[in-house]
Amino acid sequence: MKILVPVKRIAALEEDFEIRDDGRDVDGDFINWDLNEWDDYSLETAMQIKEAAGGEPEVVVVTVGPDDAEEVLRKCLAKGADRAIRVWDDALEGADQLAIARVLAGVAKTEAPDLILAGVQSSDHSHGCTGIALSALLDMPHAAVVAAMTYSAGDAKVRVQRELEGGMLHAVDVSTPAVLTIQLGINTPRYASLRGIKQAAARPIEELSAADLGADFASASRVRRMYVPEKSRAQMIEGSPAEQAARIAEIIREATGA
Amino acid sequence: MARDPKYDILFEPIQIGPKTLRNRFYQVPHCIGAGSDKPGFQAAHRSLKAEGGWAAMNTEYCSIHPESDDTMRVSARIWDEGDVRNLKAMTDEVHKHGALAGVELWYGGAHAPCLETRATPRGPSQYASEFETLSYCKEMDLADIAMVQQYYVDAARRSRDAGFDIVYVYGAHSYLPLQFLNPYYNKRTDKYGGSLENRARFWLETLEKVRNAVGADCAIATRFAVDTVYGPDQIEVEVDGMKFVELADPLVDLWDVDVGDIAEWGEDAGPSRFYQQGHQVPWTRFVKQVSKKPVLGVGRFTDPEKMTEIVTKGFADIIGAARPSIADPFLPKKIEEGRIDDVRVCIGCNVCISRWEIGGPPMICTQNATAGEEYRRGWHPEMFPKKKSEDSVLVVGAGPSGSECARVLMERGYTVHLYDSAEKIGGHLNSVVTLPGLGEWGYHRDYRETQITKLLKKNKQSQLMLGQKRMTADDVLNYGAEKVVIATGSSWNTDGVNCLTHAPIPGADASAPEQLTPEQVLSGKKPIGKRVVILNADTYFMAPSLAEKLATAGHEVTVVSGVHLANYMHFTLEYPNMMRRMHELHVEEIGDHFCSRIEKNRLEIYNIWGDGSRRTYRGPGVAPRDANTTHRWLEFDSLILVTGRHSDDTLHRELKARESEWEANGIKAVYLIGDAEAPRLIADATFTGQRLAREIEEANAQFPLPYKREVATWGTPHLPGGTFEIVYQK
Repeated sequence: MKILVPVKRIAALEEDFEIRDDGRDVDGDFINWDLNEWDDYSLETAMQIKEAAGGEPEVVVVTVGPDDAEEVLRKCLAKGADRAIRVWDDALEGADQLAIARVLAGVAKTEAPDLILAGVQSSDHSHGCTGIALSALLDMPHAAVVAAMTYSAGDAKVRVQRELEGGMLHAVDVSTPAVLTIQLGINTPRYASLRGIKQAAARPIEELSAADLGADFASASRVRRMYVPEKSRAQMIEGSPAEQAARIAEIIREATGA
Repeated sequence: MARDPKYDILFEPIQIGPKTLRNRFYQVPHCIGAGSDKPGFQAAHRSLKAEGGWAAMNTEYCSIHPESDDTMRVSARIWDEGDVRNLKAMTDEVHKHGALAGVELWYGGAHAPCLETRATPRGPSQYASEFETLSYCKEMDLADIAMVQQYYVDAARRSRDAGFDIVYVYGAHSYLPLQFLNPYYNKRTDKYGGSLENRARFWLETLEKVRNAVGADCAIATRFAVDTVYGPDQIEVEVDGMKFVELADPLVDLWDVDVGDIAEWGEDAGPSRFYQQGHQVPWTRFVKQVSKKPVLGVGRFTDPEKMTEIVTKGFADIIGAARPSIADPFLPKKIEEGRIDDVRVCIGCNVCISRWEIGGPPMICTQNATAGEEYRRGWHPEMFPKKKSEDSVLVVGAGPSGSECARVLMERGYTVHLYDSAEKIGGHLNSVVTLPGLGEWGYHRDYRETQITKLLKKNKQSQLMLGQKRMTADDVLNYGAEKVVIATGSSWNTDGVNCLTHAPIPGADASAPEQLTPEQVLSGKKPIGKRVVILNADTYFMAPSLAEKLATAGHEVTVVSGVHLANYMHFTLEYPNMMRRMHELHVEEIGDHFCSRIEKNRLEIYNIWGDGSRRTYRGPGVAPRDANTTHRWLEFDSLILVTGRHSDDTLHRELKARESEWEANGIKAVYLIGDAEAPRLIADATFTGQRLAREIEEANAQFPLPYKREVATWGTPHLPGGTFEIVYQK
């Protein structure tokens, strides 16, 4: 029994930040890197399945990212993951979610997990599709936005409750192997103990290059521009009703170019 | 980050006579317990604020002559050359940071009891001090007036020699100049009494003499309570207040104005329980209408928005601060650097003031645990020594002591895991702040929360773990921390154990439906009946606060108190208005009574002095006093037990019992801090957290390192050229 948990090192912004000179991302000086919040919940889900089964199931975390991304894997190891894999290739710089899903699919084919637990989305880019793209590439059944689930290691199917609009839940049985994207609040993620953190620091991280996986990791999209939209302005118009009306008419003329 | 341009006005220099204030942030005179006898403390505390950006730092009230001796309270003194030498340490250090140093020349009249000097204080008329009830003054004749005015002049000259830039004639808080001005004290019929011009004469002449003596070198300031807030019988700002400002305006370079007197000086240093930031403005705003000189006002200003408003609206030119400068000596610098969320906001608890009122111990601060420790322990509030080991630390409990300890350890570079069962940092403070008027105390928690959140970003190995299950000894042993800090707090006793009998009260049991601990009241889960009795053996705020809360909610509240109810609130200046509130809310107090037993819906109370005044030896097994026959029953629907607290130290005890397992689990030491060690003031709990974090590398860091003491040294005469030897009159 093996559970694969894809995780991401996300960019959290400082209160004040600047956009990179090329206008396509935030300047790295203004970013705090951290483990994606949703991934805390997917890892916890995996850990609970593992513990309920007496520890036998193997929990493997994988991330696609440069050297620095290792820190989020160590965080997962500190919380009890069994193995950690990092895949990177300089060509993946700026890769989109489809390319990342293709890399993850390459790892999944090698690892052959019984269950893949991804987060619903990443908190920085919020595409919400890497996990689902992964299920398509692997031709596995999937369930998105899982708010509760019943599953024991080795079960042929997982019973999930998906979160819908208006507080509704959608109960679905999904045959395994499957890809689930896990929603916040499904559990209470654990913290790593200091012992866990210290042990994780010495654990090996398996490193793979894109070439090792031998697949095509082309992106289907590219970022053209990242920017802070101009704020709309509010102004108080003072004066007599006639003066106010005249000023409003003037603003409308300016805005419509009339 | 640069400062917000909207605060630029706060950083404009201001000319005061021959001196220039570099900005509008001004530390008004305030007590710290240093005076002239602890020059290191004085110099370090004031100069630290100079480093933090304040434009001027003043001494506390500084006695001009042995006739004005406030022992046991600690004032500064500038009586002789020995004092000049000691105070010069302060001015030198303040000057190093480009700021000005001021001295508040003080003569107390009958309010100064002269317990050390045994001198006779003089006053405008003979009166018995309403502040020091055993002391009277002698009424001054004209020769006395000239003599005392010369004391001011001589003290001003010594002040200049000591390097002071600003010399005050102190007339607030009902000290001598105001005693002349105020008909409450001044009953004279000569040219120093009667009309305003006559009552003002002493003060004006004194200012003129001091100005003539040192005005070319020093800015002359006066501190004036423009309204004593007692109505028409005393000083009212729109009557005598503004007129006096007009009369004295040509003689001063700086007005330092406030309200109130000494007996109730909490009307000036208003506790947050009753007064918000800027509470004096309705009175002090009149001064600028008649003065052409710079005016500074106080009122616990911590918010630069409010400060800017005070200046731009023309209420004052300069922001005076005592308490906010203690809570955050770097307040101006943080505003300058755009670091508003790093400001340690004064919570207005007045625990700083309590130490002066108690009479001598060094000032402490609830927010700033380094206050008063600058010199003797070398603690700088914004500077932390780098960690001296790679040990990681688990702190169990995120209340005042635990969060402070974690914060300082993290500042030092340690990896820290801060762990609590609650969902929020703050411990018991989170419920205390829901008591009437105590909302601002939450700034203590907010500061630590903000700082810890920032520090967590700097060290990804550190963790803040809230909402966790309570830790067991096994959890701690397995956790993997080299050092463990137990900060699990304290709770109110459920069985009535108290400081009078040191034993449970028969029948006291907070698990019964009609009995409650303060925590149970605050959690709001247990129903409370109409008739409430609060059984009190605690001398601080819990009993009156609960009485206020419940009486406001419509309960009929009786407080049975075996100790002086709210005694510590005398020291924090909260007492007078707390008692007024008890009265307004019809809270009945049965003082000098305690409880012998509790039954369902009734408690048996007795007069604690009911056991007879005659003590006789009656042999073993027989009490030396008569049986107390004052017992009677009092009925209640709900009884609240404010009898005492106990440390929640079970985890620590369990860990100590398993000390043999520490090494195998990689644990080098386990420490106990805050209320978990012994219940105490929030200020003291916070201190234990800071203290341990700064000394954690020491071999036995549970116990504090010795600090640098300042004591009179045998073999060294106080007066230059004097003698220290024992010499008798012959």
